[in-house]
Amino acid sequence: MFSFALRRLNLLFFTLLMLTLVAFSLNYFFPGSPIVNMTGLVNASDAELATYEQMYHMDQSLFFQYLAYLKEIFSGNFGVSMSTQSPISEELVTYLPATIELSLAALFLAMLFGIPLGFIAAIFHNKGADKTILVIAMVGYSLPVFWLALILILVFAIILPWFPSSGQINLLFEIEQVTGFKLIDILLSDSPYRWQAFLDALKHLVLPAIAVAVAPMTIFIRLARTSMLEVLESNYIKAARAKGLSNLKIIYHHGIRNALVRIIRDMGLQFANLMTLAMIAEVIFDWQGAGSWLIDSIFQRDYTAIQGGLIALASFTFLINIFADFIYAALNPVERYARHGT
Amino acid sequence: MNLLDVKNLSITLQSTAEPILAVDRVSLSIKEGEFRGLVGESGSGKSLLAKAIMGVLDDKWKVEADRFHWQGIDLLRLTEEERKKIITRDVAIIFQEPMSCLDPTNTIGEQIEEAIDSKQLSGYFWQKAQQRRKAAIKLLHKVGIKKHTLVAKSYPHQLTTTLCQRVMIAMALARRPKLLIADEPTASMEPANQAQIFRLLASLNQLKSMSVLLISHELDKISHWTDNLTVMYSGQFVEAGTTAQIFKTPFHPYTKALIASTPTPQKQWQKKARLETLPGTIPVLQHLPIGCRLGPRCPNARKKCVTAPQIRSYHGHQVSCHFSHKDEY
Repeated sequence: MFSFALRRLNLLFFTLLMLTLVAFSLNYFFPGSPIVNMTGLVNASDAELATYEQMYHMDQSLFFQYLAYLKEIFSGNFGVSMSTQSPISEELVTYLPATIELSLAALFLAMLFGIPLGFIAAIFHNKGADKTILVIAMVGYSLPVFWLALILILVFAIILPWFPSSGQINLLFEIEQVTGFKLIDILLSDSPYRWQAFLDALKHLVLPAIAVAVAPMTIFIRLARTSMLEVLESNYIKAARAKGLSNLKIIYHHGIRNALVRIIRDMGLQFANLMTLAMIAEVIFDWQGAGSWLIDSIFQRDYTAIQGGLIALASFTFLINIFADFIYAALNPVERYARHGT
Repeated sequence: MNLLDVKNLSITLQSTAEPILAVDRVSLSIKEGEFRGLVGESGSGKSLLAKAIMGVLDDKWKVEADRFHWQGIDLLRLTEEERKKIITRDVAIIFQEPMSCLDPTNTIGEQIEEAIDSKQLSGYFWQKAQQRRKAAIKLLHKVGIKKHTLVAKSYPHQLTTTLCQRVMIAMALARRPKLLIADEPTASMEPANQAQIFRLLASLNQLKSMSVLLISHELDKISHWTDNLTVMYSGQFVEAGTTAQIFKTPFHPYTKALIASTPTPQKQWQKKARLETLPGTIPVLQHLPIGCRLGPRCPNARKKCVTAPQIRSYHGHQVSCHFSHKDEY
């Protein structure tokens, strides 16, 4: 188990290193002078820039420049935003938690509905339920997120006034930002209207989370269906049948666990896809997250912000991937213990 | 009394365009306390027959039989549910590749405890977990595993194949079956481990008077342990009788060739002598010969062999051949 953890952390470290290499090279590929792209100081005087060139070792070779860049990144200095001139790290701390909140809620929804539906489809393989679920999955997969988001707003916010159409929380509630995660901040605050605020924030979360969750959910349906079908074909299920266990017991004791192990392994891969969807949904639902912030930065040619956003979002995706690997190992004893004998 | 009595059991594969008769009217009977071997080449339908008896075949296989009695109960008259209930209560099966037959995500202990019928336990529900654990340990002892705590805590991939097969046997014993079907239990094992498993099956047969149906493709290896043998070829019944009858006086040309093909210790071996075999190979399921399926390979085959022969019985020695070697002995 220890060596497994070490291997994963090793992977994390080197992928992050590669990522910084990409971000660093962007400074040279973007138009403008590299030092301005790196620091984001558009209006700085020549004297100021000179001190920064010293800091980033711009007079030395690319390798030393990269090392200096790495040092700044790891000490949390991503430069300042070209458009607002405030530090990127501060903006990330403000905006990233909202994105994490939205994407985790969407992932939760996608798994909560996708995996059981997939299992049901596999259990009733080639019957009516299976085919209906597959049709739903196919339709859900082909719906573009921007269209779905608009339809959701139209139906559930305008025609039926059940949910708010945009934003994270009603402006009436004043919540102090502590962690950046709205739901956690509300619970931490000592406002007398805490629970009303919490409910309101949850209501705001529902529509964007559904819009983001639909496509990944359909993928989870298919993953769950194929992995359950494979498990049901396996020898140990046949042996369990011969043991005289009921179908329900077989699926509950042997089917679900083995199928889940396979799904969790692929969960990390789906997360990158989910992040992209979340960015689009954030723009439509006016969600103050890293996604809409990053898209704004792209429109404004804010190169430092693009770099910082790239590093932050990608490392978050990696972390989720590694986390999925750990869950996989925890669920799957074959990964946890060494093989003995033949 | 016959424990199991199956007559003219046929198994058809239906998923293909033309249905394939994989097992063609095979009869099999097992007495109480009998140790019977079922022998045939790979692909002769032995495992299919075993799975059909257990009722664990997929939907794509269709099973028909003229008679299917279990301890005098006509199972064909019962519904599928009732049939399954009786069979899983009294018959247990162990498969080849034991490791793949154990759930990789559950410990051995959990899987054995799960196999124990709750009817065997007494007392309140909070006492049952303890009883189950004790019963599981007892079962592990029965199959000759002494380090029961270590094995019960392990996952299947941590044990050797032989240990896994012992665990499978322990699980099969959990329901106190009257018949144990062992479907090539020693495939891909070393000879020493094979002997261990066979010895365990033989001792269970003698001490618990549990009938055993041992399925194998190696006639000589299992003949040491079995009382009676049934030989199959390409899904058809060939010959059945006591082990001595089959070995000393094989009636069917196939059995004769099978025994002759086994090299026996001899003082003088001719250099580069040919192993005695029948010409050709076992037919594929898509191109089965009509009548007796041994026809194209049989040294005795004549025109009459295009109709399948009836089973004839001589003092319990059954043979299905038009031109048997019966009169030669």
